[in-house]
Amino acid sequence: MSEEKTRPTKQENNEGSGHISRRDFLKDAGLAVGAPALGSIAVSSEAAAQAKANDPAAKGVTASAAKPAAELTAVELTVNGGKYRYMVEPNWTLRQLLRDEIGFTSPKDWCGGLGACGSCTVIMNGRPILSCLTLACECNGAAIETAEGIAKAKHPVIQAYINNNAFQCGYCTPGFVCTAKALLDKNPNPTEADVRDALGGNLCRCATYQRHPPAVLEAAANLKQKA
Amino acid sequence: MKTLKKFAHVNAKTIDEAASLLQAGHAAVLSGGTDLLGTMRFEVLPTYPEVLVNLKTIPGMEYIKEEGGMLKIGAQTRLEDIAKSALVRKKYTALAEGAHRTATPHIREMGTISGNICQMNRCWYFRNPDNRFNCIRKGGTTCYAMVGDNRYHSIFGAVKMCLAVNPSDTAPALVALNAKIKTNKRLIEAENFWEMTVPGSTILAADEIVTEIQVPTPAAGCKSAFIKFAIRKSIDFPIVNCAAMIGNGEARICLNAVYNKPYRALKAEEAIKGKTIDEANADAAGAAAVASAKALPGDRNKWKIPIAKTMVKRAILACA
Repeated sequence: MSEEKTRPTKQENNEGSGHISRRDFLKDAGLAVGAPALGSIAVSSEAAAQAKANDPAAKGVTASAAKPAAELTAVELTVNGGKYRYMVEPNWTLRQLLRDEIGFTSPKDWCGGLGACGSCTVIMNGRPILSCLTLACECNGAAIETAEGIAKAKHPVIQAYINNNAFQCGYCTPGFVCTAKALLDKNPNPTEADVRDALGGNLCRCATYQRHPPAVLEAAANLKQKA
Repeated sequence: MKTLKKFAHVNAKTIDEAASLLQAGHAAVLSGGTDLLGTMRFEVLPTYPEVLVNLKTIPGMEYIKEEGGMLKIGAQTRLEDIAKSALVRKKYTALAEGAHRTATPHIREMGTISGNICQMNRCWYFRNPDNRFNCIRKGGTTCYAMVGDNRYHSIFGAVKMCLAVNPSDTAPALVALNAKIKTNKRLIEAENFWEMTVPGSTILAADEIVTEIQVPTPAAGCKSAFIKFAIRKSIDFPIVNCAAMIGNGEARICLNAVYNKPYRALKAEEAIKGKTIDEANADAAGAAAVASAKALPGDRNKWKIPIAKTMVKRAILACA
């Protein structure tokens, strides 16, 4: 995948690459329009500022501004190689922390937090897990990888998904990519049955299922070639 | 996505600490969290726990080892580790397959064996969001499945008027393998572990915590198997599942998702005990297993009976 085609991540924006992603554009536009009227939007701008303060690329490891509540827990975690430190509330999920606070938006919500769709999959300590059913306060010391990290590392699974057209709308794709990458980390020589089994927890409403096994097998072959 | 309402969270360091927190009340045990957090998010129960006691931080609860003629599995062992373990797959096939067929790969990576056997029963009235149906399992007086849509419900009758079924895939395997479940208070035969309570599904006291699963090594010549019927290969809870261990003139067969708790098919065991495992005998045992099964009024769940029969038959044939 060429650099231009990659949707810029937050870090890249902060590094001043000049790109404005669609998401950031919408967020800023929403802020400009909605800020005077809606309190909740002001909160999200606070969260965005906090995310920037916590961005290791910009500032190294910094603590977020303390929130006034005794039950907050300090959580230090590695996401896609960057270290983050946050004070989290007990009822925050990992997905909330990654998306709303840190700004990695690839863990999606589809099933509403029941663990039924796999769209919020991230890799935590080598295991593909559901970030909507993981409490953020239990992730202290965890190493987490999201689809952004996998794309930035130019893992062959990304190009294989593009080559095989293994998506239509793309909403479920980050979950599939994380699951596939976790499988290839554990089992570099998967059979088609292994792939189908491993991807069994990811749903795709566009029904691109038939294209996933060839994509993952192609990625496995390319990985071996690389090694 | 609905956010979780507030609660306090404690990382337990020892079993005793966790038990004392549970004794104080308004607390819930959190291990894998794949069931608990969903029910909390959708406020399925009329009560909401004030404290979640995390058991994952207790050291030494995640292991699979063979010791003293039995397989010992730590309560916090993830289902995926059990499913992938070469030892479990080889000698305790039914358990490995039961763990492997549970839910999705992600949930198996997160979910623990103790959580799987302690999960609450499955019924769409019970599980409806915002406690819309205050049924018997929540302290109410009505079973809504009795007159409502009960296509997935019990074929062996109600327990205290509740028609929900136990959805665990590892539970029938543990019963078939004659396992014992060790808690911080006692050692319980797997067969006696489940019971209809409000709203739970086990006989565990409020401050009782599962610490270990013990499975006696099957005698040489014994084979075990697990078969599951579900709408989809992955993700789904079972419509019916069945585990069997047969050999040396003995037979243990257990169905699940057909009754309030794992249902040991004693008549099927009698029918196949000491006989050669072939199509005709397995078929007869399957018929014996569902001889006392009865569809609920309206026959909405009648279709489960031939499936249960076939599951028993296939589980027996897989032990050949």
